[in-house]
Amino acid sequence: MIAKKVLLVGNFGVGKTSLIRRFVLNEFSEDYISTIGVRVSKKVVEYENETIKLMIWDVAGTSGNEKIPKAYFLGAHAAMFVFDVSREETYLTIDENLQMVKELSGLQNITIVGNKKDLLTQKELNKVIEQVSVNIDLITSAKENDNVEAAFMQLTAQTLN
Amino acid sequence: MKKTPVDNTKDNRFELLRELLLAEDREKFESLSKEVIFREKLAKNVSPLMDEKILDLREKFPEYFGDTITETIKVQIRDSQDEVVEALYPIMGKLVKKAIVSEITKLTESVNKTVKEKFSIQEILKRFFKGKKNDADVVLQEVFEPIIEEVFIIEKDSGLLSGSYSRGNIADKDMVSGMLTAIKSFAEDAFSKEGQDLEDIKFETFQLSIQNFKSIYIAIACSGVLNATFKEELSDRINNLAEIILRDRSYLSDEERLNTLIFQKLIEE
Ligand SMILES: Nc1nc2c(ncn2[C@@H]2O[C@H](COP(=O)(O)OP(=O)(O)OP(=O)(O)O)[C@@H](O)[C@H]2O)c(=O)[nH]1
Ligand SMILES: [Mg+2]
Repeated sequence: MIAKKVLLVGNFGVGKTSLIRRFVLNEFSEDYISTIGVRVSKKVVEYENETIKLMIWDVAGTSGNEKIPKAYFLGAHAAMFVFDVSREETYLTIDENLQMVKELSGLQNITIVGNKKDLLTQKELNKVIEQVSVNIDLITSAKENDNVEAAFMQLTAQTLN
Repeated sequence: MKKTPVDNTKDNRFELLRELLLAEDREKFESLSKEVIFREKLAKNVSPLMDEKILDLREKFPEYFGDTITETIKVQIRDSQDEVVEALYPIMGKLVKKAIVSEITKLTESVNKTVKEKFSIQEILKRFFKGKKNDADVVLQEVFEPIIEEVFIIEKDSGLLSGSYSRGNIADKDMVSGMLTAIKSFAEDAFSKEGQDLEDIKFETFQLSIQNFKSIYIAIACSGVLNATFKEELSDRINNLAEIILRDRSYLSDEERLNTLIFQKLIEE
């Protein structure tokens, strides 16, 4: 079995931990317990006839252009950048933030995920998509289990590139 | 006397350590900032009288509450000494280690002296033929035999587990490797400059030593009292093992083969 290290980054409170929790345990909680430092979870997935052990690093959220310790990125095979579709400040400077993540990690492609879809109407959502200056890979809801599996599958695919 | 293997499934020690390291700070910070925001709101909205009172409180806070706070902190530290020590260990690690080592050496010397004075000539001769172990070590070793509980060979960057050995029952080796690497990254990032590696972590009866190599690190958890001879020997064996692995890197992608090698080189011999 091959093992891969993947990372979730983004502003604090955007739902990184919730996405992982939904993906790994199929659970969701309304409580917000901010992640401290970094927490590691594991899930074994099947992808294109390959069994892959994903070690998922859930990095504490940042604010503004606060730096993530470089050590966390070492040896990462893929990374997901999560923002909150209901909070402008989590995606307005996404360009810069992505650039920083790319530099720190040395990864070319980052999976970009807009979470908390359930909080907006389709109309509002369209507006957000227009505002975000980069290509969003998936719009998810950890709460309603919408697109979460797909987001992690895309991340898995990136580990194999 | 046979020792029972340590069971790690009940609680994740690494998680515990991490929480200890960080949880309280964050919590305290959050509640403090809430309090400050609350005070500021209050000051704006309530009558000037309240304002005055708050100002007075702010200014004379140390005078009014200083003693109480000092007392509370003292009590807290006293009541949670273990936690304080554990939380501080990675930070203070090296300093503490130095101090402890020097104290223990002193202690060992004094024990040696006593033992030498009290033991019969026969005993001394017997020990003489046993080799380089000193008297205190002999006594200590019989009581607290050092045992290798776990071995992890971990890819340095990614924290992915390449191979392992376990005497008891460990929760989930992949998770332990990941968390250990995360703690290591965190500690190294936060408390030390480049080129310095975290080397020892101690919790409860476990002592975890980390030996760093270029692309892997080897973490070994031991129980019992680790005397100098045991440590030296272990360190030699670890170096040998690492040499073999790094010369033939195919070990790193073949877990079973690596596990066998670990067993042969560290446990069996
Ligand atoms: N409505 C809704 N709420 C969500 C969703 N995902 C997460 N939340 C809530 O958002 C809050 C923050 O979620 P977390 O998963 O802790 O966020 P995080 O990104 O891990 O935060 P940090 O660890 O501080 O960086 C929690 O109260 C969650 O319940 C979602 O899809 N929809
Ligand atoms: Mg979190």
